[in-house]
Amino acid sequence: MPHLDAAYRFARWLARSPAEADDVVQDAILRAFRGFAALRGGDAKAWLLAIVRNCHSTAVKNDRRRAFVPLPEEHDEQDGHAMIATTADPESASILSDEQRTLDDLLLALSEDYREALVLREIEGMGYREMATVMEVPIGTVMSRLARARAALKRQWLLAERGTRVAP
Amino acid sequence: MSHPEPLLLQAYFDGEVDALRASEIEQHVDACADCRALLEDLEQTRIALRRNLSYLSAPAELRSRLTRALDRESVSQVPQQSAWDRLRSRARPFWFGAVSGGVAMAAVAVLAFVTWAPTLANPLVDAVVGAHVRSLMSSHPIDVVSTDRHTVKPWFAGHTDVSPVVADFEARGFKLIGGRVDYLNHQRAAVVVYEHGPHVINVFSWAENRRALPKRATVDGYHQISWRSSGIQYCAISDTGADELLELAGLLQDLGARDVQG
Repeated sequence: MPHLDAAYRFARWLARSPAEADDVVQDAILRAFRGFAALRGGDAKAWLLAIVRNCHSTAVKNDRRRAFVPLPEEHDEQDGHAMIATTADPESASILSDEQRTLDDLLLALSEDYREALVLREIEGMGYREMATVMEVPIGTVMSRLARARAALKRQWLLAERGTRVAP
Repeated sequence: MSHPEPLLLQAYFDGEVDALRASEIEQHVDACADCRALLEDLEQTRIALRRNLSYLSAPAELRSRLTRALDRESVSQVPQQSAWDRLRSRARPFWFGAVSGGVAMAAVAVLAFVTWAPTLANPLVDAVVGAHVRSLMSSHPIDVVSTDRHTVKPWFAGHTDVSPVVADFEARGFKLIGGRVDYLNHQRAAVVVYEHGPHVINVFSWAENRRALPKRATVDGYHQISWRSSGIQYCAISDTGADELLELAGLLQDLGARDVQG
């Protein structure tokens, strides 16, 4: 399965928990498989990540709809923790360095728009055009959003270094 | 040149400006400490993110769950669907639906048979999967480590009965990493090992005999593409996508055909 790791990484930065990311990726891969004939010639990675992104927003929408119905147990609280906690599962969490943990937190503290721009550009190494495909915005928006995202991360980073950031 | 717009400087940093613009910006940056500091910042953020946050990869459990789901999908995906829809969309008497249903069922059965029968009937298909998986688990999947076909090909001459096509297609994403000898189908097989992204592709080859392999098969999520050329039976196997595997098989077949002519 080409680009599965990229799809998974992207889903992990979008979704609020590893389990949710798994579901999003599975959903996306199956959708991609069914629509494979529609691709031909395009950029497979950008195409797949765009599907991941759509699957994620569908999942979030469904979640929100469900959230209106009062549930017997309180789910929201747990979800909140899952979002703030470092993204990795316990085994790998133990081998993460402090720097990793800080960056994880900083990235998760950014808005989803900023986070996805940074992940696509810096971790997946995508060009502006591919990013525009995934994010479904014009290239000009990609550029400005990326610039704001970088600035926001930098700001958070400086605050964290000074230790004034309130621990999540 | 005066200070470039911040977005332009960023585009320069991201390698998104043309060569002419890039050299203009370079000249300016050489002379401008402010812009250099900005670029330095961008670089630091990039390094930190890449160093620290690239560690995630799809867990094995998810991978196998997906492989199973896709296997189910490729069997149950009914190419007859369009015919089925066409039949349904026409105004038709009651029995028509019953008959078309029967036709679709029969078509699915035939498809399933065609897809699975050669796989089930041929123990060699399983043997290749077994050899492939063992090679992935073993600590040295390669006997002769080399990215040079002029090293790998002669090595086989001394160790196997066949001299398979060996080539490096790194430009196409298939990197030659070495060769190995395996024992399959009661004879020694030459195995050429390629790397495709994170995937390992083993291309098995042995002197062809009566027992041929199906052209395509998928077992446990491993795709196999087989072909014969110049008296050699080839079988490429990997967990990479079937399309990628077909591409490599096509490249090797073309090369084999050219060798025969030349």
